[in-house]
Amino acid sequence: MYRRLLFIGSTLLLVVILVAWQQSSRTPNPIALIPTLTGETEYCTTCHAELPEISKSHPLQTFGCVSCHGGERLALDADLAHSSMRGGANPSDLSVVEMSCGGSNCHSGSEAENRDHIQRVMTSVQSTYTGAITSIRFTFGAQTDLIPQFGTSAITDEKTQTGITALAAFDAATETNPMVQKFGENCLTCHINAVPREGDVYARQTGCAACHSTEKHTLTTAIPYKQCNACHNRGNYDLGLMTFVERTDQPATRIDDYYQPIAQFTQCEYTLDCVDCHTRSEVMGDGDLHANQKSIQYVQCQTCHGTLTELPQTKTITDPNDIALRMAFLNPVLDLKVGDTILVTEKGEPLWNTRVLPDGTYELIGKATSQRFDFRPVMGSACEQKPDEQGSQYCHACHAVER
Amino acid sequence: MPDLSRRDFLKLTTSTLLTASGLLGLGALFRFLGYQTEPPQQTQFDLGAASNYPVDSRTLLPNIPALLLHTNDGFSAMSLTCTHLGCTVESKENGFACPCHGSRYDAQGNVLTGPAKKQLSTLRVETTPDGNLILHTD
Repeated sequence: MYRRLLFIGSTLLLVVILVAWQQSSRTPNPIALIPTLTGETEYCTTCHAELPEISKSHPLQTFGCVSCHGGERLALDADLAHSSMRGGANPSDLSVVEMSCGGSNCHSGSEAENRDHIQRVMTSVQSTYTGAITSIRFTFGAQTDLIPQFGTSAITDEKTQTGITALAAFDAATETNPMVQKFGENCLTCHINAVPREGDVYARQTGCAACHSTEKHTLTTAIPYKQCNACHNRGNYDLGLMTFVERTDQPATRIDDYYQPIAQFTQCEYTLDCVDCHTRSEVMGDGDLHANQKSIQYVQCQTCHGTLTELPQTKTITDPNDIALRMAFLNPVLDLKVGDTILVTEKGEPLWNTRVLPDGTYELIGKATSQRFDFRPVMGSACEQKPDEQGSQYCHACHAVER
Repeated sequence: MPDLSRRDFLKLTTSTLLTASGLLGLGALFRFLGYQTEPPQQTQFDLGAASNYPVDSRTLLPNIPALLLHTNDGFSAMSLTCTHLGCTVESKENGFACPCHGSRYDAQGNVLTGPAKKQLSTLRVETTPDGNLILHTD
């Protein structure tokens, strides 16, 4: 009996040792990386050497992987290595963005230095979606006015300039009106932290990467309109059925690809990309909670073209720390320098991809295309726009493209 | 060949299995004991003979990264690691620029434009008795 047990035991021992040996020999030889920022060894590139550098501002040798992605830096087993990653493959998801991308030297710096990116995005209408939520709740009697009460998640704004100090998290399950419930089920895929609808045309990530990641493992400020169109211009909400109706047209031209065939647009509105005109505060928020898109979006034709009686606003760059130079550094489509005069918006935001030319006309360089466009002010032109009709809709009356 | 009884066969097989397990176990033990941990980050760099760096020379040391200066006052060195987030700054006209976030420094390493707030670090340079230069980055 004893010999038989000894035989079985020794066989099992050998099997266990062989299995352990085989498992060990399957572990890849670690490739160490010691990023300058952390000074701590990480083995991620043992398996992920093929990934492209994420951006010029986040070089691998400086940042490594773990400072943004988290994860177990010394693990060679995939499951273990990935077990504590932030946001899965997307550390910019708003649920983890502060840990991944935040910090005073990174993207939650001071408002005065325009480095409060995360705070601004978290309070932006693209994140809160409060305009749609408020409108639907008001329409179906769940609230008696259009004062925002809910966002996609709870958020506060202690330094509010808009009077909106806080939004509670919208929860369709606690709503009593069936249409509001249905809105919650069917119509919340557009805010930037929502998982997008299925389909290539809706493909995007969440959080910062929803806009800034146009290809696998890349971050860019040169955002083409197609990235914006992962959410915008993809269809319409049917408020009767409270569901999203996908557009079904087959666009053959850029203007039709850009916009649904439902409105008029001038040539520059589809020749350029969205980010060529719309500013960072319009898109990423200005740090305040706003009631809806209309409250934050303000750039119109006259921002760049002025009116019959006024030239567009300009600014000569004198400070080497000017944010216009920072933006041009990140996306160097033009060689902007101290001394250059650029257009600025009515709120003073720099249109850093424009420049005033010596003859009084202007140039704009496409942020995503690097294409150069020359344009001129309305003042001094043959335009017959009335002084009290300065909005873009009046420009469309004459300058809309036939389609 | 003598007949092998069942008992002897089991005894022989058991001994063989135990010996094999023991050898494999020893191999694993040696492998464990022989594991090479990552070497600590290098903080001293032998730059070779001081005579290789004439007076008034400015020598880029990209692998460190640093700039070695030799003036009439002696040797000194400046780190080329940006004080913002640690990217390697590039030598530009009259100074240095960070390719990651745009910080600029003058030729002495003082900040001209942010986001960096601190000047480039000064590194210690030591001359050994045999005339070699040792650069310390710690």
